[in-house]
Amino acid sequence: MDPAEDWLVESLRLYQDFHAFDLSGATRVLEWIGDKGVFVAGYESLKKNEILHLILPLRLSVKENQGLFPERDFKVRHGGFSDGSVFDLKYVPDTRLLVTSGLPGCYLRVWQFAEDSDVIKPVSTIAVPEKQGNFWPRVAVFSSVAPGVLHGSRLSDLKIVDLESQKVMYSSGISDSEELSSLQVLDADIFAFCCTSGHLGIVDTRQKWAPLENISPNLGSGGERWCAEVRGMGQGPGSCIASLGSEGQLRLLDTRDLCHPISSVQCPVSTPSPNPELLRVSWAPGLDNCLAISGFDGTVQVYDVTSWDGMGIQVEPLFTHRGHIFLNENKMDTAPQVTTHTWHPCKPRTLLSAASDASLHVWDWVDLRASC
Amino acid sequence: MPEIRVTPLGAGQDVGRSCILVSIAGKNVMLDCGMHMGFNDDRRFPDFSYITQNGRLTDFLDCVIISHFHLDHCGALPYFSEMVGYDGPIYMTHPTQAICPILLEDYRKIAVDKKGEANFFTSQMIKDCMKKVVAVHLHQTVQVDDELEIKAYYAGHVLGAAMFQIKVGSESVVYTGDYNMTPDRHLGAAWIDKCRPNLLITESTYATTIRDSKRCRERDFLKKVHETVERGGKVLIPVFALGRAQELCILLETFWERMNLKVPIYFSTGLTEKANHYYKLFITWTNQKIRKTFVQRNMFEFKHIKAFDRAFADNPGPMVVFATPGMLHAGQSLQIFRKWAGNEKNMVIMPGYCVQGTVGHKILSGQRKLEMEGRQVLEVKMQVEYMSFSAHADAKGIMQLVGQAEPERVLLVHGEAKKMEFLRQKIEQEFRVSCYMPANGETVTLPTSPSIPVGISLGLLKREMAQGLLPEAKKPRLLHGTLVMKDSSFRLVSSEQALKELGLAEHQLRFTCRVHLQDTRKEQETALRVYSHLKSTLKDHCVQHLPDGSVTVESILIQAAAHSEDPGTKVLLVSWTYQDEELGSFLTALLKKGLPQAPS
Repeated sequence: MDPAEDWLVESLRLYQDFHAFDLSGATRVLEWIGDKGVFVAGYESLKKNEILHLILPLRLSVKENQGLFPERDFKVRHGGFSDGSVFDLKYVPDTRLLVTSGLPGCYLRVWQFAEDSDVIKPVSTIAVPEKQGNFWPRVAVFSSVAPGVLHGSRLSDLKIVDLESQKVMYSSGISDSEELSSLQVLDADIFAFCCTSGHLGIVDTRQKWAPLENISPNLGSGGERWCAEVRGMGQGPGSCIASLGSEGQLRLLDTRDLCHPISSVQCPVSTPSPNPELLRVSWAPGLDNCLAISGFDGTVQVYDVTSWDGMGIQVEPLFTHRGHIFLNENKMDTAPQVTTHTWHPCKPRTLLSAASDASLHVWDWVDLRASC
Repeated sequence: MPEIRVTPLGAGQDVGRSCILVSIAGKNVMLDCGMHMGFNDDRRFPDFSYITQNGRLTDFLDCVIISHFHLDHCGALPYFSEMVGYDGPIYMTHPTQAICPILLEDYRKIAVDKKGEANFFTSQMIKDCMKKVVAVHLHQTVQVDDELEIKAYYAGHVLGAAMFQIKVGSESVVYTGDYNMTPDRHLGAAWIDKCRPNLLITESTYATTIRDSKRCRERDFLKKVHETVERGGKVLIPVFALGRAQELCILLETFWERMNLKVPIYFSTGLTEKANHYYKLFITWTNQKIRKTFVQRNMFEFKHIKAFDRAFADNPGPMVVFATPGMLHAGQSLQIFRKWAGNEKNMVIMPGYCVQGTVGHKILSGQRKLEMEGRQVLEVKMQVEYMSFSAHADAKGIMQLVGQAEPERVLLVHGEAKKMEFLRQKIEQEFRVSCYMPANGETVTLPTSPSIPVGISLGLLKREMAQGLLPEAKKPRLLHGTLVMKDSSFRLVSSEQALKELGLAEHQLRFTCRVHLQDTRKEQETALRVYSHLKSTLKDHCVQHLPDGSVTVESILIQAAAHSEDPGTKVLLVSWTYQDEELGSFLTALLKKGLPQAPS
């Protein structure tokens, strides 16, 4: 029996809806523009990569009469070409601009797309002080009337530059050269960082560098690599950071006390992650206490963290998406790896996930715990 | 200047009304003749006035080619041939020839009987039109006339769909029609060889999409059907006799078998026989899997799918029924619909486009109250699902086909130019070919450089070969000859032969150049110096010192003379015939540089 067909029959029960697409090149980027479009970008080193603005199938956006919309396809609304690989892409809200980062890591590129054409054009570059080969700056955008680009590959070179004038508006000004794994803007003045060592911090840009952070002598030992995501705006009650390590450890921390995690669990994943740069943890915007992780293999796992309390507890995922493995159809000799995933901003259980075989899935999983 | 001209004739940007005019090396070909299903007036036909202004269509057009039986590619054919007037050949594949008239007649019935249209083609016109059809096989080169030939390639998409190569001499155009690069359950994928046409014309309606996988579309269908029968509901699937029906039946059969389901599936009376008949007839057009199993078990004789009897519609409990016609405009499918519409547990799945005016079109527009005959109002409580099973090539598919055919240029029709700049750049970058996107009614003119074969006389060839240097494969070699054009043949012969044939006398052109040299010695010594110099310098050439004192290099003559006024200056006379221009110029330049000092 064809395992792909088996899985599809199984999928009738597991998913409300499921779409599978083949991009012309694999992406490590899934960046929303509004709630109807996403950007993807290629990351190959030896050829031109495409940056695409994809519009989701209409049926995913309509509220009523979904059945009357037959089209299940992505529409390529805009496209552009990048000579270098793209590892990170951020959309500048309320503009027609994008910022990308990749290798070579000595500059960021700024792109523009127009209403009356379908081409994404490069408009400028932002120089960054990175000299060495394999490091590339992480990027986040402060959206405002004058947008600012937060970037850095190490704590020491963290800067915010004004997008238009390229003037430096803020810099960390410290000498700590720890490598960064993610940056996240929380509101107009506050951002969070996560270093590969697991060092987390929340920075208020209205002051000189004085982050709330979790410095501890254990950080960085063991060679594990970490990434993190803050839920919501990072303030207020229940505000939480999820931090994921390449050995499968997942920690939850309260933003008011980063030194003492609320809980720490071991996720049932194959470890270590073959490519820890691809590790990703994300909070569900439409569900209470749910998050998703990927970056260990060809799956995306969804967890409900409601009753997580304490250290070292064993947990089981609420749902595991295996589509990338089963629908691979021998395109590659090695099993595909999930490169990134993201939650749909409005539809509570819908996610998008991309893998190294250039597949892109949109899936709406069924919560099997629900009795009705 | 030889050129290829392409004009898409359909007006408007929507899908439908495919009709493209191609002029290649003096031949005029019309590709497809489609109807636009969304219009009820003349806008549904292509704008033929563009061609008719040149006189009679039959005189102007060398042939018409129809790619497949969908109405947006052949729907206007009877109107074109019988009402506008065309008596030349119409080429299409055998399955298209068999199925086209059925769909045209169905459509005519809807238009005339249901909607009461006046200016429409009649049944007789359809028959008369089909008499002009010449059917072709795949990969068969068909001579339309002495110069024009066409060849059909498998396109997938629907039964009998083909891509066509149109060739005149060394110039060719490939038209894809609609095609699909991924195989499905009953048809294979499109394929073309590396035919390297001057131009590839392809539909670009789906060029800016990335298609959901076939498996996921099938999954959606299965899920809807399964959920409905699980809750005890009935599923109605209105279909045409041919097309997606077979695909869906195979899918359901496989699923029912796998899940061991007992819910009955029915197939409208007459549908099975018709399908069987056509698929048996055209078995080579289905995919390999079907062909292989057809011998052991007829793929269209199903275990779980039985023939329908109208009485079954009243049976209680869940069931699935495939019924014709496909747009719910009449007949059995409409009857069943009326019975089942009032129950919200039931579902109707529309697998394709419905023409305006049909019940199918109304419910797909969201109408829940329908006015039937006798002012009766039908309330539609059953679930209405619109599913698209069409197999078209998306951006990826187009790139694949361009990669297979390796055209010099690509032309995209039916897209919006502004929204396809990225695709054009992609094609131009990946394949280094120019990409064109004409608007409907706009003509694209492409200059071509046709290769003209010329015969060369053996004598001339042998003489050139004997002149020393071996020819190098990649380097151009200059040779002198005369091109004789007689009737339609071109020959390259030696000048002597040409003169003889034409009865003309040969004139010789000789050039003489003077090179001044400072030399006080006598002319004979100067000549000797020249000889030694050239002998040692020009190792590849035959340099000789003649008894009379002159020097020859090949056939070029160099003589030394004293300057009339200045005894210290010698004048070298270098003379050559027209044929030795190159060498003569070279020698002159060499000598002008001066002679090396003679040893004393």
